[in-house]
Amino acid sequence: MISHEVTIAGYLLVAAGLVLLQVLATRTRAPIPSLGDLLTRAMRSRTGRVGMLVAWAWIGLHFFAK
Amino acid sequence: MVVPARPPGRARAALAGLRAPVVWVLLAIAYFTAISGKPLDGVLMLIVAAGLAWDAGRRALRHPGSESPPVARPARRPGGRRRLLILSALLTGGAVYAGVVGSFSRYSWPATAGIIGLGTIVVVIGWHGPLRDRPAGGRLPVAATLAWVVVLVAGCLWELGALLQQPSLTTDSYAHPTVSTLTDPLLATSPGRSVLLLAWLALGWYLVER
Repeated sequence: MISHEVTIAGYLLVAAGLVLLQVLATRTRAPIPSLGDLLTRAMRSRTGRVGMLVAWAWIGLHFFAK
Repeated sequence: MVVPARPPGRARAALAGLRAPVVWVLLAIAYFTAISGKPLDGVLMLIVAAGLAWDAGRRALRHPGSESPPVARPARRPGGRRRLLILSALLTGGAVYAGVVGSFSRYSWPATAGIIGLGTIVVVIGWHGPLRDRPAGGRLPVAATLAWVVVLVAGCLWELGALLQQPSLTTDSYAHPTVSTLTDPLLATSPGRSVLLLAWLALGWYLVER
């Protein structure tokens, strides 16, 4: 039982970290890029762009496809 | 004078393309997906990784030293009324897609065809470059970018840790649930699948627009 809760707490901690960084990036003057800025930068090259879109397609495959 | 034999053009291109880190990430995803009991996903990832390696290698050989940014399409945005029509059509199409594909049971052939079809269209569109030109932007602050990377990598490692602590790669564990296991109850119902498909479509559109 305790392992189950610890595992979920880990996911929540990661999610909280992502939300915190995004809030700091968009609502304060802290020199932190938003997730959108990071994605735009990562997708500037063709390999980065295709890599991100394939990762997105993989999420769909993973959850719904054979 | 002895001239060393050079590998043929395609092989040289593929070898040069292997320098792209994204190719290795895709190959790793293909491997782990295949051994997790989803060989079709693994084969699709492998095809994209090979295509990307060949494409990146071909460009690297043609223009050594360049990062080969995608060719941006002209910044031509439709006007107010036309834009509203396009947006309405996309929203309606997305809702119909999510409703129809979400009505199929998970891991069925119709659902698989729907996901592979749309995924292929989006990746092919992305391969040709962004939909519109965007400002290049300056350099990102290193420390803050590293903070994002640390949190994202921590999330991936946490998920991988849960996966490896399952009784086997294809058997779920209550004690160490992966994200897939946690979303199973939601994906067991047709409305739940449609809601997640809508979120997946929204994410895809957001990425295509980058």
